[in-house]
Amino acid sequence: MTVRATAAALCALACTALSNPVNAANFEFWYGNTGKIEEAIQANCASFNAAQSEHKVTCVGQGGYEVAMQKAIAAYRSKTHPVLIQFFDAGTLDLLLSNAVVPVSEVLPDVDWNSYIGGARSYYETSKGALWSQPYNASTLIFYGNREALASVGVSELPTTWEGVIKVATKLRDAGHACPYATDGHPWRVLEQFAARHGAPVATKGNGFAGLDAEYAFNAGLPAKHMENLAGWRKDGLVRLAADTRAGKFADAFNAGECAMIENSTGGYSSHLAALGDKLMVGLAPMYEGVERRNTLVGGASIYVMKGHGEDQIKAARAFLDFLRDPAPQLEFVKATGYVPVTQAALDLIKTTDRASDPAFAVAELGVGSMDVAGNEYSRGIRLGFFVQFRDIFMEETQKAFNGEKPMQAALDSAKTRGDELLRRFQATYAGVTLP
Amino acid sequence: MLALFPQRWLAFALILPQTLLIALFFYLPVYLAFYWSFTLERPFGGGSEFVGLQNYARVLADPEFWRSLRLTFVFMVIGSTLAIVIPLILALAADRHIRLSQPARNILVWPKGVAGASIGLVFVFIFNPFLGLLAPLNAVFPGIWNPRIDGADAFTMIVVAHVWGGIPFNFVVLLSGLQAVPQVLHRAAALDGAGPWRRVRDVQLPLIAPQLFLTFALEFTESVTGAFGLIDSMTEGGPGGSTTLLVYKIYVDGFRGYDLSGAATQTALLMIFVLILTAFQFLVLERRVRYER
Repeated sequence: MTVRATAAALCALACTALSNPVNAANFEFWYGNTGKIEEAIQANCASFNAAQSEHKVTCVGQGGYEVAMQKAIAAYRSKTHPVLIQFFDAGTLDLLLSNAVVPVSEVLPDVDWNSYIGGARSYYETSKGALWSQPYNASTLIFYGNREALASVGVSELPTTWEGVIKVATKLRDAGHACPYATDGHPWRVLEQFAARHGAPVATKGNGFAGLDAEYAFNAGLPAKHMENLAGWRKDGLVRLAADTRAGKFADAFNAGECAMIENSTGGYSSHLAALGDKLMVGLAPMYEGVERRNTLVGGASIYVMKGHGEDQIKAARAFLDFLRDPAPQLEFVKATGYVPVTQAALDLIKTTDRASDPAFAVAELGVGSMDVAGNEYSRGIRLGFFVQFRDIFMEETQKAFNGEKPMQAALDSAKTRGDELLRRFQATYAGVTLP
Repeated sequence: MLALFPQRWLAFALILPQTLLIALFFYLPVYLAFYWSFTLERPFGGGSEFVGLQNYARVLADPEFWRSLRLTFVFMVIGSTLAIVIPLILALAADRHIRLSQPARNILVWPKGVAGASIGLVFVFIFNPFLGLLAPLNAVFPGIWNPRIDGADAFTMIVVAHVWGGIPFNFVVLLSGLQAVPQVLHRAAALDGAGPWRRVRDVQLPLIAPQLFLTFALEFTESVTGAFGLIDSMTEGGPGGSTTLLVYKIYVDGFRGYDLSGAATQTALLMIFVLILTAFQFLVLERRVRYER
């Protein structure tokens, strides 16, 4: 009796597996975002499935960029990984050398990858110009202000320089404002994007693009001075850390009107717009006076094709990537999230239609403009191994400086030393591998 | 008393399922951790190089490792001591049939049903510098309490949450020990003129030594590994790494930093640390415990 039942159950399993036509490419796409952005990703997936019947994508949220990467590593090692997976900027070099992904320009050789705007492409390109991943939810750093708070001290325009920011912040503080400018101190904001647009190195060898033997270099020059300034301004009551705010998170504090100015990803735009409406001001991230503005880096994440799948799966994945590159689904996504369009065609579609006046698209042009400024070797991107761990180290060390445990310079020096150790270990882990 | 199985294979068959499970979920991972600690392992696989003791040399030379080991030790001593002394006081009170001891016996067990991460979430709110219990203190002395910035505050917060979560189990164990102390001894001691404190010291504590030893042994090992949920939900190791106990550092290095070799090495070292600790407890402390009454 039980034997027969087991046999029947087994057959049921096998038979469903067999009943799928050979070419039915049901494939999986893993992503990390949550909240509003997850909804927009699911909307993209649903419209792909609705637009054609040959392939079916199942989009699986993993609850965070880092978690998605962890699960991808575990899945790849146990050979249960999906065809397509979204990875975030900081993991780029770990993936390039992982031998687990195929460059998209190899999977889709006929696509004109130059239609991607330069700032979005360079981050994911090899030194020979092959593109490793298809930029998806691209963002960059911009400056946000609260019009009401600024108007209360007679300021009607967002400052564009740090000197200007501090002038406004001083007025706000003197008028009794508790939080003129807020930041979480995350290196993406205070170091990577800062160094890129000021053309200053995070690390030698063009931030690692020219070889695995790069060393961290942010503990001198403008990036170090900026960190020193942030710590000093915090003591003066001009700058607040996320932990100093009632809300506990800098973006929430800005949304609640507690803080007047922040630097944040364009990906935060839809939530800021929802909270502040026409009180929201946006502009380019501030520069120090007398320094030439370079491009800001693309943030967010891009989609990689993973190795080890059959041709039918790859074919389906190609169709999905083609679909996402189309201007229409891109704009659907941009509108819902505040991420910026990544191809020229999508950008043109905004300009030529009535979308140009729609506040939902207001940051698209600003963000793309910020990434499209002429750059130098330090604004191409970050190509450093174990960079995710370095970000943790940077946060930990600078927090020690912010809470008075040690001077900022000492914190930066020790972050550099610990970071260099990571780089050397990465080099040893991939001994004999050359940078593509 | 000794019971013997008629056939030897039956004994082996009976312990087989459990052995398999332990092998799969304990011995195999332990073996892999030790194996990886001697290699440089690429996160996505496909290349792992034998490097001998290089990982150990690196970890043992890393001041961050020693810092988190020191924090682990401090947490273990303070956290475990409080997590036993407080339930002991509660158990002594409950055992003396003071007022409300009956409902208290029930209520004090409730926290056992709450997961570490949930305790963390609740305590984050309780200790919120602007909205929590200590907010009035901040209103009087601005900035005196902020676990988001001050490392000592954050560490205190983790210890309090850990102690709270440890009360029920230790309370149950110690109370059952106390209740097994024969009333005759209490009366005899009282007749000899011993006051309540004297009776605690000379009658009750020596007689619940086995229970105290059990709670200490469990609590010490538990505090080394069990703080993970609290740290992850309350501080994520911050601020400035002031709550990065070794168990959390291993997670951060291995899962967030893809440093599988470094994480494996620290896992091996943590295991050795716990083994030494447990061995010390059993070889040195347990000799002083008398189980027969």
